[in-house]
Amino acid sequence: MNVIELRGLQKHYGTFRAVDGLDLTVRQGDVYGFLGPNGAGKSTTIRMMMSLIRPTSGSITVFGESLHHHREKILRRIGAIVERPDFYNYLSAFKNLELVGRLSGADVSRANIMRVLGMVSLDERAMSKVKTYSHGMKQRLGIAQALLHNPDLIVLDEPTTGLDPQGMKDIRDLILALSADHKKTILLSSHILPEVELTANRMVIINKGKAVVEGMVNDLLNAGKMKVTIETDESASVRTALASTPWVGRITGVTEHAVIMQLDRAEIADVIQHLTAASIHIHSVVPVRSLEDYFLSLTSEAV
Amino acid sequence: MMLAALRVELAKVFSKWRTFIGFIAVGLLIPIIVLAMGKEGNQYFSFATQALSQTFDFKGNLMNGYTVAYIVFGALYIHIPFLVTLVSGDILAGEATSGTYRLIFTRPVKRSTIVTAKYIASMLYVNMMIVWMAILAMVLGVAFLGTGEIVVIRSQITIIAEHDALWRFVLAYSFSALSMMTVASIAFLCSSLVENSIGPIMTTMAIIIVFTIISAIDLPMFDVIRPMLFTNHMTGWKLLFDDPVPWPRVFTSASVLVGHMVVCFVAAQIIMQRKDILT
Repeated sequence: MNVIELRGLQKHYGTFRAVDGLDLTVRQGDVYGFLGPNGAGKSTTIRMMMSLIRPTSGSITVFGESLHHHREKILRRIGAIVERPDFYNYLSAFKNLELVGRLSGADVSRANIMRVLGMVSLDERAMSKVKTYSHGMKQRLGIAQALLHNPDLIVLDEPTTGLDPQGMKDIRDLILALSADHKKTILLSSHILPEVELTANRMVIINKGKAVVEGMVNDLLNAGKMKVTIETDESASVRTALASTPWVGRITGVTEHAVIMQLDRAEIADVIQHLTAASIHIHSVVPVRSLEDYFLSLTSEAV
Repeated sequence: MMLAALRVELAKVFSKWRTFIGFIAVGLLIPIIVLAMGKEGNQYFSFATQALSQTFDFKGNLMNGYTVAYIVFGALYIHIPFLVTLVSGDILAGEATSGTYRLIFTRPVKRSTIVTAKYIASMLYVNMMIVWMAILAMVLGVAFLGTGEIVVIRSQITIIAEHDALWRFVLAYSFSALSMMTVASIAFLCSSLVENSIGPIMTTMAIIIVFTIISAIDLPMFDVIRPMLFTNHMTGWKLLFDDPVPWPRVFTSASVLVGHMVVCFVAAQIIMQRKDILT
């Protein structure tokens, strides 16, 4: 079942096309990475999905129903962080959740609010005013308000921005738990590419308001060549060993202790086998192509 | 859902320090004025009636609680709009400033419901302010200075009998609530247009000043628009202390004020329905 379907979505500001005919499909159970550089149209798309701004044209269907015609019914099933998490700073975290929970029709009992705050490790600071919170704490409170009414779809717009490495890991773990244990569908917008690589099963990359590529994260990562660093003390011998093979042309760099090659994922095992057969002792093989490389190559092609 | 939205809005309004500035200001001013009137009110009264002192002989407890309540009302009435706009001007624009439009407008509640709840919350605030002002002026005035006839000094002097005073005060305060709700409605409309709180407050005050000046200048070119300006009708509460009360003028003024409120509310609703939330 498709949870989100965007078809031909457009948002124009005068002559500027913030979103330009975007098509996107998020299926039930997906952790869907929504990638793009700053200004690509991610937040504008999310704002349209959350009915904060009106599309110029195109359709938004969520849970099989038109957002335009069934806004309240749909929003009841969505929890979201839209860009930076802003709250009523003069109120406590607990009171903030109580107020937004009332508007969402959520269970605003003390037990439920404390349970959700506990999920993001804010239960001990529940009664502190939000103005005393750090950015990371506000980010976690943003996730708490998105989860309070137990939504089926969670939309997270840059949820780890401004967090320290431990905070980022905590959020990643929470996203994975929400998906695996609670069977939530998650749309994760980010420009922090390893975050999507580590959490999403499907993704789209957008640039200038258009989808550049969409598919399974693994398929997209496995497609094309990646940079592979082969660590060895016999780096000079590697070129000789590969001289009679087509792989010799894939060597892009040689240092005293490493050879760097551009290889398809499927070729890596064959190269290692060939070098081992040539009695070259290999310490390690590190495929270093990240989603970032892929992302940058795609968006630069699209520019 | 409306009740839940209203509850949320009232919780927010009454959690802000600025909401209580008006109550504190009125709470400080009125006791001071009542005490000062009790001490030196007769001098004030003699000064106001000196032109008549050779023709008329004023006797009795004329500087009483009712008269002081009337004077207090007239004096503070000019300044209450400043206090009213503090809340009404902030109620929508404040959400834009703090980025919390995103928090409330992504809830499964119609925008029109939230906007209506905000409007009702700001109107409740205005009425609470007027009630607070009325209670302080009447209770303190009567407690310190007793009751008596109201001496209304305007272009003519009207003396209202003690037994005839209370209903006039009730209606006058109700009318003034209507006037202040009109001011609050204009601030509310301005608040829907911009994304910071200072703009609506300043704009509303500027509108009041400009309209008051137009209302006061007796030029033929203003004759057409003057009857439609709300500032021309805000002082309609004074009509309730005329004898007899000119009811048609009272109703006309009340209708103009209600008309302004309706127009401001509907316009704010339309603006908010069409507004793209970009903050």
